[in-house]
Amino acid sequence: MKKILLFTIMATAIGTRSQAQFSEFKDLNSFSPFTISNDNNTLQLGGRIGFYYENRILKSGYTNLDHNGFDVKDMDLDIFGKTAGKFVYECHYSLIDIVTAATTANSSPMTPGFKAAYIAYEGFKIHIKFGYDKVPYSQSNISHEHASPFWSHPNLTGGDFYARRDLGLTLNTSLLKDKLNLYAGAYSGLGETVFQYGGDASGTFEYVGRAEFSYPGKMKYNLIDEENSPIVHFRVAANARYEDKTQPGGGTIAANYPDAVGAYSTYMVNGKRTIYGGDAMIVYRGFSLQLEEDILNIKPTSQADPLFNGTAESLNKGVVNAGGFVSALNYDWLKAKSVFSVGYENTNANDLQIGHMEWVTLAYAYTFNSFNSCAKIEYYIPTVEDVNAKPLKYTGQLRIGYQIVF
Amino acid sequence: MFKSIPLISVRVLIMLVFFVAPIFLCSWKKEKKDTPHYKFKFEHSKGLKNIPEPSDVVYDKETNHFFIVSDHGMLFECNLDGSIIRKAEFEGLDFEGVEVKDSFLYVSDESPRKVYKYRKSDLSMVKEYNVSWAGAMNKAFESITYNYTKKCFVLVAQYPTVIIEYNDDFKEINRYKFHQTRDVSNARWYNGDMYILGNLDETIFKCDPMTYKVKEYYKINVLNPEGLAFDADGNVIVTSDNLQRIYFFKNLPHN
Repeated sequence: MKKILLFTIMATAIGTRSQAQFSEFKDLNSFSPFTISNDNNTLQLGGRIGFYYENRILKSGYTNLDHNGFDVKDMDLDIFGKTAGKFVYECHYSLIDIVTAATTANSSPMTPGFKAAYIAYEGFKIHIKFGYDKVPYSQSNISHEHASPFWSHPNLTGGDFYARRDLGLTLNTSLLKDKLNLYAGAYSGLGETVFQYGGDASGTFEYVGRAEFSYPGKMKYNLIDEENSPIVHFRVAANARYEDKTQPGGGTIAANYPDAVGAYSTYMVNGKRTIYGGDAMIVYRGFSLQLEEDILNIKPTSQADPLFNGTAESLNKGVVNAGGFVSALNYDWLKAKSVFSVGYENTNANDLQIGHMEWVTLAYAYTFNSFNSCAKIEYYIPTVEDVNAKPLKYTGQLRIGYQIVF
Repeated sequence: MFKSIPLISVRVLIMLVFFVAPIFLCSWKKEKKDTPHYKFKFEHSKGLKNIPEPSDVVYDKETNHFFIVSDHGMLFECNLDGSIIRKAEFEGLDFEGVEVKDSFLYVSDESPRKVYKYRKSDLSMVKEYNVSWAGAMNKAFESITYNYTKKCFVLVAQYPTVIIEYNDDFKEINRYKFHQTRDVSNARWYNGDMYILGNLDETIFKCDPMTYKVKEYYKINVLNPEGLAFDADGNVIVTSDNLQRIYFFKNLPHN
């Protein structure tokens, strides 16, 4: 609580205005949403639908073709509103997550059906948001991947290593004519599983901070330079998040909250976890380049924690590191309504295990009407795989499909 | 039957899409290419101190001042160098367009779909009008101008780009679709022509004020241009929202 108070005091002391946060529907560049208004309230109804066909090129010896078929990427509905009293609210539903949970009677805690559910007050110079939304950490996480030729976020920032969304309090303000944009927040630390568990036995929060500098002016979270910027426009950012989820009474995350362990056992750990990283983006004349690096520094409470992989304390020194690097180079050929992207990513999920992973992704979008109505094709190639911890069954994956934003 | 496609087909498909399809799918706008067009560079620019996200500017001949509105729902009266003289007490939510007509200023508040009428002499708000637009909350009326040729107010929806004419009580009279640009951030009647500003395309379109047909257009080198005005000598003034700057051009070529 003291840290929340500190955040609030610091942000208030800054005493300047705040700029928009990162709701994809707040500044939606689509002509399809419906907006209704009266003297006290303006309400926008929008959404997104995307389907693709997926084909995995399997290694010899594997015969299960269950990844070769059609899939629904998104079936989202968004309600976004502003009141005359300067409150902002949003409910962003993933209908496909809800339907999948209902039909299989087996909900997926990482896709709880909400993508955003919050209220915010924008009447002060500092915007205050309370509720469930993206955590202000990582450019790749905050940016809207649907507004790019890619079908999904990179592995590093896609929710396997750490939570993308959480329930909590976010403060946002900006300085220097919006060139410097600051976020601070406190969250449950349970991420997307917060609806399943409500809280955890440690009773502590995860704290997140992010500082962005854009030049020559503020920059939106658009991965593609659809404006064909006539000047070089860039943003650099640094961010960090910290939690101490040491479970009382010798409890473990795996026992108490098994769905919060995550794909690499780093999503929530029984101990202290600090994540820090930096990212940058530059756009010019249709080209855009994104770079990002994230490091997870984990200090499990017990030497028996599986994250130590059975290594001696003299070797691991009580610390496990993970992390990786993601990048993408994109070109928007406006006259041809075509957007090309190449992505490269490498990750290491645990530095106490041999092996890391690398991927190259090629993607193309034909934009009939920007990314509001577009065909996308993505070819995903794992160039280096972790044969010890995560051996793969395939050598490539193709996704081709269509999306509309309404 | 759709469970898998042969490997060769996958590679052919990728080749086709990545290297061949764009060539066939090019959709050059011949009509736009045939319209006379010019590149038009600003002479100098100036940062706008204390005006967050300036979204429109209008020149008032009577006072020889600019009136500038901000995305933060504020109206300012400024000197010709952009320095603030005074600020209106009444604030809205998301001011995007401003026009001066006779003794009054008319301001478009985009999100709540309202037009506010201010008295120019003391910047007091005297009346508000509702103007409906069912499209995206933040893609509504980014501009307001008075078309002296047709004697009506003109509001242009940003996206999709629709020009809507209103009488003096802001009752809709006519609407026209405008397909020449991806979105519209401003419109200004000046000297017998209607000028429409394309934000994403960074272009000023000179249009017939009766039909809104494009006569010629000017590509400008300003990122995120939102406001458009003409001063007493016909010089062009553009404001940029994201960069919080005001740009000064000379007279338009062939103007």
